[in-house]
Amino acid sequence: MTDPFDTLAGWIEEHLLLPLLYAIGGMAWEDVAYGWALFAVYGAAQVGLMYALCVPLERWRPVERWANRRAVLTDVLYTLIARIGVLPLVTFVAFYRIQVGLNGWLTDHGYVPPTLERFVPALLGHPYVTFVIYALVLDFADYWRHRLSHRFRWWYALHALHHAQRQMTFWSDDRNHLLDDFIAALWFGVIALAIGVPPLQFPLLVLVLRFLESLSHANARLSFGRLGERLLISPRFHRAHHGVLAAGQRSCNYGAVFPFWDMAFGTADFSRDYPATGDPDAEESLASGGYLAQQWAGLRGLVAAFGGVRS
Amino acid sequence: MRRWRRSGARAAAVAAFLAVPLAAIPGARLRAAGPPAAAGLAFVVNSAEASLSVIDITTGQELRRIPVQREPHHMALSPDHASLLVGDTVGNTVYFLDPRSGAVQRQVTISDPYQLQFSPDGKWLVVNGLARNQVDIYDAASLQLAHRVALAAMPSHANFTPDSKIVFVSLQRTNRLAAIEVASGRVLWNVDVGATPAGVLFHDGEVLVGLMGDNAIGVVDAADGHIRRRIPTGRGAHNLFLSPDGRFIYATNRVDSTISVLDAHTLHVERSFAVSGGPDDLDFAPDGMIWATRRFAHSVAIIDPVSGTWRVIPAGRSPHGIWLNTHDSFPPAGATAPRKLS
Repeated sequence: MTDPFDTLAGWIEEHLLLPLLYAIGGMAWEDVAYGWALFAVYGAAQVGLMYALCVPLERWRPVERWANRRAVLTDVLYTLIARIGVLPLVTFVAFYRIQVGLNGWLTDHGYVPPTLERFVPALLGHPYVTFVIYALVLDFADYWRHRLSHRFRWWYALHALHHAQRQMTFWSDDRNHLLDDFIAALWFGVIALAIGVPPLQFPLLVLVLRFLESLSHANARLSFGRLGERLLISPRFHRAHHGVLAAGQRSCNYGAVFPFWDMAFGTADFSRDYPATGDPDAEESLASGGYLAQQWAGLRGLVAAFGGVRS
Repeated sequence: MRRWRRSGARAAAVAAFLAVPLAAIPGARLRAAGPPAAAGLAFVVNSAEASLSVIDITTGQELRRIPVQREPHHMALSPDHASLLVGDTVGNTVYFLDPRSGAVQRQVTISDPYQLQFSPDGKWLVVNGLARNQVDIYDAASLQLAHRVALAAMPSHANFTPDSKIVFVSLQRTNRLAAIEVASGRVLWNVDVGATPAGVLFHDGEVLVGLMGDNAIGVVDAADGHIRRRIPTGRGAHNLFLSPDGRFIYATNRVDSTISVLDAHTLHVERSFAVSGGPDDLDFAPDGMIWATRRFAHSVAIIDPVSGTWRVIPAGRSPHGIWLNTHDSFPPAGATAPRKLS
């Protein structure tokens, strides 16, 4: 069956991107543009899905109600940039080029670049199984990236932007400092290259995973139950990570999609019920400033951290 | 879901688009009215889905998908017709398939195999590494690398002289075309030919190159690479294919989404088909129909070159190379250039 997302991406490529590339002399990048179109369409679908499901949820069972939601609007901007705009393009172009170049170089030197299907040939042709394995590996890697971003003072100075939000909603998932995003992309890039994640094969499944990450930030009283919370991260579980008492270098519940890693490494806390969110030590502009003000404050915090001063 | 559909509206649009009235073109010149499609398989490379679609040519049904690892693009038939080679670029693997069934015979690790071309004499296999800016020349029998030619940037398509001594390679990102002496790996010339060169076809002693960043095919002097003339075909002129009878050259135009038909002798553009979806590579069925991949419409268009009407068979995401396993039934082309595979 024809995938409507693919159809829309193809239409964008044919009717918008190709004429644009032709006009600016960039036809050499038509394949890359199509890759971005796919990511952008699936990103837009993510946002649409998030909006359609999370808004009613947040209205039905909100943890908090706010008269002024200006801070939430800033998070909307973060989401659009991260899921539809520039970041998918940069990530895809960089990842694709590095993967092709590195794998080719390894091949030249007699080393077969690793892919899951090379280790387990029976997996060839079973993309859903390989996806689940890749998802588990990447989620495990993300647990440690996230945990380390709290451990190092300079890194947390950037990551504090994510934690400063006192009006946490499903839009807050992408609220990150650009440098923090860059480090995360680099981190994932290295891991993905090491295990040979294919960049274009699973956009629909990536959509589902990213949706779960957004859902975990929702301003909603939602638990998956005693067993469910131990299989998939819920808004209740992740809100504990964003609680005011968990901000900073000693936190809990670092996982993004699966709680297994927190349970295995002793950082899971299933006891906290919907605390207030935010980082009391964070500079105010990180919480309530506009996009640029937050980015600037994050940089100041980084410099201060390297200088040994808590910003 | 309907797997095989006909679009009357498209046919009308195509008819309206044609620059030359159909009546002005002798139908026999475009194709002889052939017999019903012979039984056979079409192999379509789904570049953004890591698979090949295997389609029954007669029924138009997609029979199955052959999984590969990452990102396949092009194919080449081995000189002994025993294997169909499929290059998986990101997987750094060339798959050898049985051209009669699609069964995987073996896999060979090869660096960044984007475009594959066997020399007409069957001695050499040229592999363009688009992402790695390299042209690898292999001994076709042993698959031992004979020469690696570093060429900036993005070597995309290739075609040989009929004597197999020279291979011409388009360099997509640097607007250049290079001629390489195959036996030595020596670059004979490397010249600017125009914006974003893609498909290459050696024909009647000249090199034709689709200029994807332009609206024309460049006609290049094979001796030194200078442009003799340009033949406007359509925006995004991409790849070039000699018809089995050697009388026509078909050029796909990616931005205008058209396929131009050139008289192979005069290089005059006879007519043009509007085929939406970014037509890329094509192949010729025994019944005279043209099968073209539509990169952005996850499908294959089957075009009647006489009426200009076309129908669609769904394929995977971003279908690129296409090959029909019915070519043994073709009479010898008698053309001046080796037939291209896409």
